[in-house]
Amino acid sequence: MAEVQQQGGSEGGGKHKKLRAKKASTHIDMTPMVDLAFLLLTFFILTTTFSKPKTMDITMPVKDKVEDKDRTKIKASLAMSVILTENDKIIWYMGIDSAGMPPQTNIADFSISGSKSIHKLLLEKNKLVANQVKLVEDSVKRGLIPDNPEEIKKHKAAVKAAEKEGLIVLIKPDEKAKYKNLVDILDEMLVCNVGRYAIVDLTDSEKELIKNAQ
Amino acid sequence: MPKIKVPKKSPSLDMTPMVDLAFLLVTFFMLTTKFRPDEPVIVDQPSSVSEISLPDKGVIMLTIDAKGRVFFNVEGQQVRKDILERIGTQFSLTFDENQIKRFSVLASVGMPANQLGAYLKADEDQRRTMNTATPGIPLDSLNNELAIWINSARKAAPRFSIAIKGDKDADIPTVKRVISILQDNKANRFALITNLEGAPEEKKEN
Repeated sequence: MAEVQQQGGSEGGGKHKKLRAKKASTHIDMTPMVDLAFLLLTFFILTTTFSKPKTMDITMPVKDKVEDKDRTKIKASLAMSVILTENDKIIWYMGIDSAGMPPQTNIADFSISGSKSIHKLLLEKNKLVANQVKLVEDSVKRGLIPDNPEEIKKHKAAVKAAEKEGLIVLIKPDEKAKYKNLVDILDEMLVCNVGRYAIVDLTDSEKELIKNAQ
Repeated sequence: MPKIKVPKKSPSLDMTPMVDLAFLLVTFFMLTTKFRPDEPVIVDQPSSVSEISLPDKGVIMLTIDAKGRVFFNVEGQQVRKDILERIGTQFSLTFDENQIKRFSVLASVGMPANQLGAYLKADEDQRRTMNTATPGIPLDSLNNELAIWINSARKAAPRFSIAIKGDKDADIPTVKRVISILQDNKANRFALITNLEGAPEEKKEN
């Protein structure tokens, strides 16, 4: 893109011997500057990252000693224990794990639509709450709730918290599970509208359950 | 036939608008770019559908890499200086001016306290080799240095939120241990950093 200097052809046959200041062209060769500008532009475009990391908020219970009477009692029929173990496998059972009567365990996986999908299972088990969340969405459509994300979120949270008969999930990752499994299952809680869940340690009897399930 | 005279045109183009635009973009990118110091570990975060963004400032970040090593990071030079000072008194270590200055501009640090001084004295190449060799911040119950780090950070920056940036393959016992140390320090609310994933329908089958 070199600039061609336009010069008049008057230099050749000048009969005048008068010395004249040479008429300088008003054009400045901008090429190097432009080159540099584009170089910098390319550099900054390539080094900039716009995507901000996303986060998942978690609130853990306070770790003080809790008196037995202060503990939250939950219905055993609503409690679902989800044990995360090696190779992305999930072992789950309903109710409590009492010493005399080991619960019926089942195996699930993280697929979205397989026959053992935990996603489908949670949706099924949590139908009650999911339906109410859907109601909130319907009211938004009909204009009963203002269509702004904050407001909708507030309503959904209220619905999830108020439902006493909703599913309660106890997440129990074992030692061989990966961090990814934990994030995935927390993610499922969000997707499947499970309002009440907790990350709990495995008991000894549950370690037996894992062994037996394999 | 008369000769058709092609008018002599100047081959030079007026580049001014293009240059204007180029400089405008350069300025924009220069002002929006934030240079980050070298991260000592590369972490491949798991993805989730959560759409909450990480706040720009005021985050105490605990990185757990695939091998279960824990690194500590916080942004803000003044805060970092303050934290290092507190760490120094806790472990009865003294840091000179240069070491404090170095620490204030570094990224994540995952050194046991007894190697911290040497780490801050080392040059960039040495630091890199130290980073690959480091066992991370110790967090077993006998030598719970992470608790001291978190405690100092909470005191130096009480309003900062806490985030855990874990690798996909980080093992659960380490993650649980970190969470439990956080709970011990009365930090019951924290965030897990993830990548954004599409709607669940698009989630890949595994």
